[in-house]
Amino acid sequence: MDVRAEGLRFDYPGPLRAVDGVDFTAREGELVCVIGPNGAGKSTLLMLLAGMLDPDAGAVRLGDATLADLSPRDRARRVGVVPQALDRLPEVHVREFVLGGRYAHLPAFGRARTRDREAVDAALAACDAADLGERLLTRLSGGQRQRVLIARALAQEAPVLLVDEPTNSLDPEHQLTIFELLAQQTCEGRAVVVVTHDLNLASQFATRLVLVQAGRIAADGPPAEVLRPEVLRGVYGDRLTYGSLPATADGVARPFVLPWRAQ
Amino acid sequence: MTVPTRCDERDATQHGDRAARRTRSTSPRALAAWLAVALVACVVAGVRVGTSDSLGFGDLARGGLAMVGLGEPLESRGLQTICELRYWRVLVSIGVGAALALSGGLLQGVFRNHLASPSVLGVTSGASLGASVAILLVAGGGSFLLIDRVGGAAPALITAFAFAGAMGVTVLITAIATTGGRVSVPTLLLVGIALNAMIGGALAAMQAWALDDSDLTRAMITWTFGRLDDRSAWHAGVVWSGLTLSAAVIPFTAFELDLFAAGEEDARGLGVDTRRVKLVALAGASLAAAVAVSVCGQIAFVGLVVPHVLRLLSGPSHRSLLPLCLLGGPVLVLGADVAQRLALGANYLPPGVVMSMLGGPFFLYLLLRNKRAVEAW
Repeated sequence: MDVRAEGLRFDYPGPLRAVDGVDFTAREGELVCVIGPNGAGKSTLLMLLAGMLDPDAGAVRLGDATLADLSPRDRARRVGVVPQALDRLPEVHVREFVLGGRYAHLPAFGRARTRDREAVDAALAACDAADLGERLLTRLSGGQRQRVLIARALAQEAPVLLVDEPTNSLDPEHQLTIFELLAQQTCEGRAVVVVTHDLNLASQFATRLVLVQAGRIAADGPPAEVLRPEVLRGVYGDRLTYGSLPATADGVARPFVLPWRAQ
Repeated sequence: MTVPTRCDERDATQHGDRAARRTRSTSPRALAAWLAVALVACVVAGVRVGTSDSLGFGDLARGGLAMVGLGEPLESRGLQTICELRYWRVLVSIGVGAALALSGGLLQGVFRNHLASPSVLGVTSGASLGASVAILLVAGGGSFLLIDRVGGAAPALITAFAFAGAMGVTVLITAIATTGGRVSVPTLLLVGIALNAMIGGALAAMQAWALDDSDLTRAMITWTFGRLDDRSAWHAGVVWSGLTLSAAVIPFTAFELDLFAAGEEDARGLGVDTRRVKLVALAGASLAAAVAVSVCGQIAFVGLVVPHVLRLLSGPSHRSLLPLCLLGGPVLVLGADVAQRLALGANYLPPGVVMSMLGGPFFLYLLLRNKRAVEAW
């Protein structure tokens, strides 16, 4: 299922427009990374795509349906969200937490069926977190917790996956693991949209990059087209160093960008 | 995909296992069984103990059957009356305990804070204010509205006003403490303090106006202390019907409140209709608090203590916590009432006073226990 933003606009109280007329599409099997400086409107855009915020103008389409017309349960059956962080970590076991992802599929009064338990097991296994099921969420390391958050979204079995800065405060090994996991989801036909500050992970794994600046799309294309000095200079300044390396997945050279003050 | 084992993950495993064992110390079913046994014991003691002589099981059985029209009343009319009063007192105590504990469990779930309870947030004060306004409106100085002698349409009015007061306070604190869909805990508690103070002032003013009418003053003061004596079929009917309606929200809110634990926004992402759940849960909590206050006056802290203790014993899931509140609340209210009647005899204290003496220190204990979290607010 494709997810399509059409002329999305959203204002927070104050003079700045958070999202200002954004149009873009993430298609089935695509991993689209939304990049841009702090405060550019990336997370707001993701919340609009998830239906957590109502746009002031424009619409989000999920296949043939308009997001605003869907009930909360119907929406959750189509879109899975991995938040950047939770307000508070509930004192629950991982399996129970991941079962929360099945909420939109459960019958009245939330009684889980065999089908739901199987979906939870499959999601945990896909995230290499099957052995964490009986552990408390509060006792997991950062990398484990991130995998469990993704597992919960996978348990939703939604064709669209929206992920907000999944590698924050993770070590490089776990960053790669998380992006490999997200890239895997595209093989199953999901459309995956990831908001990230990590240009190099985005370059390695994304089908397309969407560069957002001041609530607008400044560039939209394959990594090699977006991660160029002439595109990024106006967004991130001129203190970046550019190069390219073959990516492990397909051996094709991909650009990298380092915050490295070259002479 | 393989992820190398890391030291932090190994440590986390060990901590997690210990914590998991700790949280699984009592299964909800085992706890429910224990509470049911405790409740039966409290009921037996409750109907046997009173200010007058202890009644034998035979008299209690015959008197009880006569109440429901299945037998002849006891030979002594006085003994039959005492028997009936005790049955009503026990039934009302169970209903009030369950309603207050359920109200606290729902409020703590909606506001995601263990310090929320109908008394701390001012919901019971709101109900008390509503009940007192109803008394003033229809009493006209008449003594027929004394809490122990209600009749006609007046009790329904008192319940309706108590509900309006409870709901009004709930809506007000929710509106003030919520910004951008998030509830500020300090604001919530400060609003509760302010509302309790304001309502306390209003109640004192009403009592001052009514000082010349001793019956009216007594009726209003009774609400302040709480009262479980001299209850009737009407009181039991009000509290049990309100409790039934309130408990009916459990299947529609319990799983959803579990999903609220990680944040309202997160719950919305999972497909929860957060507005509907909050509305239903707050209406249930207000109704439960209102019926409890309208039949026996203010009994504070039950809604704070019971959910908290049950959560410690059987875990945080509202799917087990809320039903357990329906057993835990009656055990506390009826158990404390019976215990103090046994200990103090004819000099027993009103239930509101007893619960404040127990609940106040417990509230302080909660604050101290969560000192780090409280300091971060």
